[in-house]
Amino acid sequence: MGGVGWGREALTGCCHRIGLRGASGAFLSTRVSHNARLRLLLRPETGGEQCKTSFVVDEVSNIIKEAVEGAIGGNAYQHSKVNQWTTSVVEQTLSQLTKLGKPFKYIVTCVIMQKNGAGLHTASSCFWDNTSDGNCTVRWENKTMYCIVSAFGLAI
Amino acid sequence: MEEPLGLASPGDTYSLRPAFRHRFRSSIVKECIHAILKENLANVQYNPEETPQLTRSLSDAIKDRLKEEGFHRYKMVVQVVIGEQRGEGVNMAARCFWDADTDNYAQDVFMNDSLFCVVAAFGCFYY
Repeated sequence: MGGVGWGREALTGCCHRIGLRGASGAFLSTRVSHNARLRLLLRPETGGEQCKTSFVVDEVSNIIKEAVEGAIGGNAYQHSKVNQWTTSVVEQTLSQLTKLGKPFKYIVTCVIMQKNGAGLHTASSCFWDNTSDGNCTVRWENKTMYCIVSAFGLAI
Repeated sequence: MEEPLGLASPGDTYSLRPAFRHRFRSSIVKECIHAILKENLANVQYNPEETPQLTRSLSDAIKDRLKEEGFHRYKMVVQVVIGEQRGEGVNMAARCFWDADTDNYAQDVFMNDSLFCVVAAFGCFYY
């Protein structure tokens, strides 16, 4: 017993304000007196009240597609605007993802490349929990550019 | 039964914040990435058949290297983008929704005459 683990058991003592919405809907308080209550709040599925804690790829894929269409839908590649476009795709995607209200941390990346006959390859490698975490990559193109958006969701 | 404050006991060892030396530090990670890129891409030419495999193996190599660094309780995501250099315009952006106190990222770019490579490594603390 003791030592640091990914432990669900030895949760004790003072809990920092990490801003999680607990099973009852109240924010996690800074003083927790009981181990089991903290475990319940951080891992609601162990307590009986079911909570959606897996990454749903289809939902995220739709969010990404809408964000890309909205930001660069009918436009041709323009060097002066591409910075603004990548930023708005990424911000729009992230804000829609956070509105889902799931207990996830999100990472969203976007690459926009001018069509020039050149090749582009992306790969990602992740060290996480396969049952709860996931990612979604969407490739979009029009006549003048390619856009590749990846969204990663890591359960808290 | 309240335990007296200040006394270490076997039950008080689960921390919800990493200690400073265990944080996902950008500078350390960037050096690891830079070393791996220099080693693997120094004289490589862009090749449409081999580059996909190279991209995948690079991302795995970087992920394994970061695991060896010993960032305890960190979930990590490594993304590698390799493109051919033909004068085209490329722009890459990333945004994250996380706990800025514990989570961080590192990125590096490598270029030679025929290709460019961008690596972004993200680390998220698992509470």
